[in-house]
This record gives sequence, C-alpha cells and structure tokens, in this order.
Amino acid sequence: MMTCRQFRATLQPGTTDAALLEHLRHCDACLDFAMGIDPDLFFRSIGGEELVPPGGVDAFVGDVMSQVRVRSAETSLAPRHAGSVWRRLAIAATIVAGVTGTSLVYRLERSAPAPRPVAQTLLRAKPHPAALATKSFVETYSSHNATIVEVPNDGSDAKVVMIFDDTLPADL
Amino acid sequence: MAAVVLQMIPTNVSVEPDDRHLVEQIRQGDDGAFETLVRRKTSKVYGLCYRVIGNGEDAKDISQLVFLKLWENIEKYDPTYAFDTWLYRMVTNVAIDFMRNKQSRDNAVNSNLRLVKTSVDPEQTVTVARREVESVFNAVSNVLSPKQKTIFVMSEMEDLRSSEIAKILGCRESTVRNHLFNARKLMQTQLKRRFPEYARLWEESR
Repeated sequence: MMTCRQFRATLQPGTTDAALLEHLRHCDACLDFAMGIDPDLFFRSIGGEELVPPGGVDAFVGDVMSQVRVRSAETSLAPRHAGSVWRRLAIAATIVAGVTGTSLVYRLERSAPAPRPVAQTLLRAKPHPAALATKSFVETYSSHNATIVEVPNDGSDAKVVMIFDDTLPADL
Repeated sequence: MAAVVLQMIPTNVSVEPDDRHLVEQIRQGDDGAFETLVRRKTSKVYGLCYRVIGNGEDAKDISQLVFLKLWENIEKYDPTYAFDTWLYRMVTNVAIDFMRNKQSRDNAVNSNLRLVKTSVDPEQTVTVARREVESVFNAVSNVLSPKQKTIFVMSEMEDLRSSEIAKILGCRESTVRNHLFNARKLMQTQLKRRFPEYARLWEESR
C-alpha cells in the first residue's frame, strides 16, 4: 500500500486509480485531505472492502448448499408429468391432430351452401295448381337457420310473420 | 541461429478452475463445483447486497436467494459473456426488487416520522470518521430510487465503470451516467439537510 505522502502527492479530483482508492479506504488521516481535493470521494471511501456475511463465509456457504440439496430433493420427488421425449412428441402430435381436425370440420361447415333466401325459393318453385297460393311479401330476414317473412294480411293492418326453419321436422 | 528461450513451468501448481469451467461442471451435476463457486463469489455478492440494502441480515438473505437463483438458472448462462456480469445482473435484479417492496412497506410505516434537525456549531472542526460515513450513507441514500442507489453503489463502491454497469443493467451508458449524476445531486442535497457538518466540508472544497 502506498504511503500517505505518496497518496497526497498524487491524488487528483475524480480519480479512479485502484491504489489511491485502496489507500483512501484504509487511512482515516487521508480521508479529510481527500475530501478537500474531491468531495465525491466521501462515499467512495467506504467501498472496495471485502465484506463477510454475518456468521462467516463457511456458515453462509453451508446454508446455501443445504437449501440447494432441499431444492434438488424436491425436484427429484416431483411427479414427472412430461415423461420422455417420445411421450412428449406423442402428446404434441395428438393435440395438433385434434386442432387440425376441428378447424377442417369448421371450415367445411362454413363452406356448405347457405340456405337460399325465401324470396328466391318462392320465385323458383314451380307453382302448384291447387294447394299452394303464394302471397306477396313485404320484407325478408335471413339467418343461418331461419328466414322470417313479413306478409301483408288481407283487409287489415296486422301482418303475418312466417318462419321457415330448415332444422325443424317437415311434419311440424 | 535461432535463440531458444526456455521457460520454467512449475508442474505441481494447482490452478483454480475459472468461473466458466466451474459452470460447465455444475451443469454436469457437480455439487462440489457449485460450492466452490459460491465460496468464491460470496464476498462480492454479499458486499454489493449489503451496500445496496444497508442491512447485514437482509443482505445475507438476499445473497442466499441470489445463489439459489444462480443454481436454478445455471443452464441459461451464456459463456460468451463474463460470468460476473451475469451474476451482478442477478444480484441487482433481486436487490432492486427487495428494495422496491421494502420502500413500499416503509412508506406505510414511517409516514409519520419526521427528520431530526442536527444543530451544528459553525466553528466546530469536523474530522470525518470512517465508520460514520457508512451510517451517513445509509441515511442519505434513502432518497435514491432502488436503481439509482444500485448504480451509485456499483460505481462508487464497487469501482465498476459505466460501461460495465450498463452491461449489467442492460441499458445505455448514458442512462447510467444520468442516474449517477442525479444520485450525486440528491445525496448532496440530503447531506446538507441532515448532516450539515459534512456538507460544509463539501462546500469548502468547491
């Protein structure tokens, strides 16, 4: 370690010189002097020193190692859900197949032709000479499963609403 | 004729394995290597924790937590980077988390405490007592944010360069310098308020 004389001769403001800092951290007599040169050395003076945890390094290391052993034991006792690589691959393949199948079915269902609007159906249907008589309609509303038709009622303001539901049984 | 230089190489000197080599051994399940690493790094880790946290028992607990995290995450260490940078990053993350939680607890408890004003005789000569500096630091550094304090400690007490601190914290060097500048300013203000006898030394030297 350098002498106080050397320290005082070489100290400059803002120093980061390791030897100077080491002297500063061990010599009380030079701390006042150093503060006069550079006040930022005030807190710098308490650094650098090797610190030992309470109870000593051996006890500390012992504590850490015993906790590590406990964690190791916990890890080895924990149930192994994942299993081997092949098992993980099999699980992943099953999930992928399931997701793909579901999405395919969904796409097929969506691409199926939507039920024609009632207006078109009524226009294209061949006229039945006796049983069916078509009525003019005011408005139609279409959805996936049903079509609602508003038909003017003869002689009054009330309107008859007809619902055609493809999912309902034919004899309902 | 070429000159042949012979070097005496001692054969019986046991060379301590470096950190990367120890990590490799730990990854292969060598608990002894981990113990060696813990022993080697205890002072560094505890020292940084102690200076950042300011309490021996808390610093010890935090240091143990750091080593447990190190053991659990050893597979994530990339040997192309310096081991100490990775270790310091772990220490700072755990310490900053701890301080943030502690600050919110302390704020709730100490909201009614007032600062005690120190009366100073202007003619009194001041001699800086080293042990006092530590307690002054603990008192004054409370105004810093956890990150500012960590950067201040790493720069001023651990003598790390701004570039090293930036690597540890994963930020820019200019950010580190900015935090450092603000930390110094805040601490000087606190020093003037709470320990005017030391602040006078500061002002005299300016």
